[in-house]
Amino acid sequence: MHTKNKIQPDWWSKSLSGAILGLTLATLLSGIFAWVGYGGIDAPSKAQFNMWIIPPIWLLILSFSYLFQSGKTAFFWLFTSNAVALLILTWVKH
Amino acid sequence: MKVRSDIIRIYQSIHIWTGIITGLVLFIGFYAGSLTMFKPAIDSWIAPPSQVLSPIPLTKAQQLVDKVLQEKVASHQGFALFINTKESNQSPLVWHDSPQGRGLSLETTQWQATLNTQNELVTQQVTPSALAELIDMLHRTAGIPGMVGHEHLGVLILGAAAALYFLALISGVIFLLPSLAKTFLALRKGKSESRFWLDAHNIVGLTSLPFHIVMSVTVVVFAYHDVIYGGLQTVVYGEKPMFTRPVSTMHVPPTIDNLISVEKLLAKSKSIAPEFTVTNMVFSGLQSKRPSVRLGVYNPDHIMRGPITDYIFFHPYNGMLLNSTLQPGPDGLWNRVVASFFALHFGSYGGDLVRWSYFFLGLGGAFLFYSGNILWLEKRRIKLKKSAPEQPQSNTCYNMASATVGICIGSLAAVLFTMVIGKWLYLQVNNINHYYYSLYYSIFISSVCWAFWRGAARSSIELLSITAIAAFAIPATSVIAWFDIFPVWSSQSMSSLGIDITALVTGFILLFLAKKAKYRALNGAPDSVWSFHSYRAELRSKNINESVTTKEKQVARLSNS
Repeated sequence: MHTKNKIQPDWWSKSLSGAILGLTLATLLSGIFAWVGYGGIDAPSKAQFNMWIIPPIWLLILSFSYLFQSGKTAFFWLFTSNAVALLILTWVKH
Repeated sequence: MKVRSDIIRIYQSIHIWTGIITGLVLFIGFYAGSLTMFKPAIDSWIAPPSQVLSPIPLTKAQQLVDKVLQEKVASHQGFALFINTKESNQSPLVWHDSPQGRGLSLETTQWQATLNTQNELVTQQVTPSALAELIDMLHRTAGIPGMVGHEHLGVLILGAAAALYFLALISGVIFLLPSLAKTFLALRKGKSESRFWLDAHNIVGLTSLPFHIVMSVTVVVFAYHDVIYGGLQTVVYGEKPMFTRPVSTMHVPPTIDNLISVEKLLAKSKSIAPEFTVTNMVFSGLQSKRPSVRLGVYNPDHIMRGPITDYIFFHPYNGMLLNSTLQPGPDGLWNRVVASFFALHFGSYGGDLVRWSYFFLGLGGAFLFYSGNILWLEKRRIKLKKSAPEQPQSNTCYNMASATVGICIGSLAAVLFTMVIGKWLYLQVNNINHYYYSLYYSIFISSVCWAFWRGAARSSIELLSITAIAAFAIPATSVIAWFDIFPVWSSQSMSSLGIDITALVTGFILLFLAKKAKYRALNGAPDSVWSFHSYRAELRSKNINESVTTKEKQVARLSNS
């Protein structure tokens, strides 16, 4: 296997990206569901459910962040996903 | 299944690091969680018979309530009624002199009431034991003291540990994938002891994976829900409120005469949740701006929002429904979904079968962490043996072994001793609750110190044996109580007897483990931290001999000159 293709560990950058950007991404995805999903934003007691789904989404993102080629690519993709999700959420709110 | 070697190596590192960092604190969280599966049984076991007044038939409940409200003014701010209970480990009506705060209180004196056979009011004041609640605290904080704002530091630490634990679970599965087809469910005893530990670790981990994923995620939620709600409010909800409280429309003057009747509440509950049995009604804040009555409703065949029962909240004066997870129809959907998340953590969805399953799964989890540490030590020993066979294991390894033994077995010993000594002291002291903390922490800290002083090899045998004694003391107390000489009592109910029997079985298991530990110390690899033949001790004595010889040489040189 070429050394070029091996995944670089990059522990700090991947962990930080996964932990922080993963959490924000999970919140944004939950937010999209909050507005768009069954019952919409005003459905009774839906806020609890929206809160509950954030940790599993976040932890899955964090767990698989280590599969990115490097810390840089991890940051790039997670940042971009956050930006896209934010755009969708803003659009969906109106 | 083929997985790239670089991926394997990355996830192996993650697994080892997250495991070693969180293992000890999760051990306590998990085994104490197993104990809390039987919280009512512990309450039943620790309560002296004199502290439980006789139950009354449902038909007399209103009579009891009316009499207490009439004669005891303190009950006007709130009281709790217990009905339809299978076992009498609760007095029918309890209240307090002053409103109770939300946190755990060790000073609570409780008023209790019942009706005797002549329908006369019988009351008494007791200081109930907080033992079961304290064990629950141990479960939620791993015994780590301190507060951060209004959250327990231990809860926050366990929440962080749970997040790392999720990583440990995923990484564990990933790096096990290549060997899965061949070795899943294999438990190789013949090969070597560390193989056995490894196989056991893998089997327990894989077969209970869903349970562990649930625990990991739910604990992160329990610890950090406030922070997450904060994020949601800012980013998603903005100006909109996340929670709405129903506005009470029917105005009924909140005087105690207008308090809703037991019968009406039962009827309302039946219309909402006909398959559920009401087991208690907790009236609170009756003189405040937000009075409520919370019905505990029970059905073992359904998921339930709470650890023992589900809940329905009514307005205690006008009978309006305030909150419930059992609301039929589409409005109650999200409530019910979230209730299932809670139920998955509490194991409150399948009656006694699930309750016992969670008990064993919790212990299995504790085994995962303990065995994980053992494997970590063993891996280092083998690596060292290959590179530097003469060198003894590092101080880090000895310390990790001592910490594992001291913290894990020490915590277990501390809980069991606290339970049994607490029972013996109960009727001798004013407020037994003052003793629980000091009993637990003194025994726990002594055990940890003992483990470091004696070393893991010796202290594991000693601490396991001591814990076995504590475990046997529990049923022994019940037997001794039959002779009526000492101020202790034997089990009054089936659930209490269950505690005795479980403790008895635990004692035998602990003795067996102590025996295995001794065997390992005598016959295991001599360069291991678990062996009586400590390379480190031999090396130390060799160094002493060498330094003596050096000194003699120095003296000889000086005397020669």
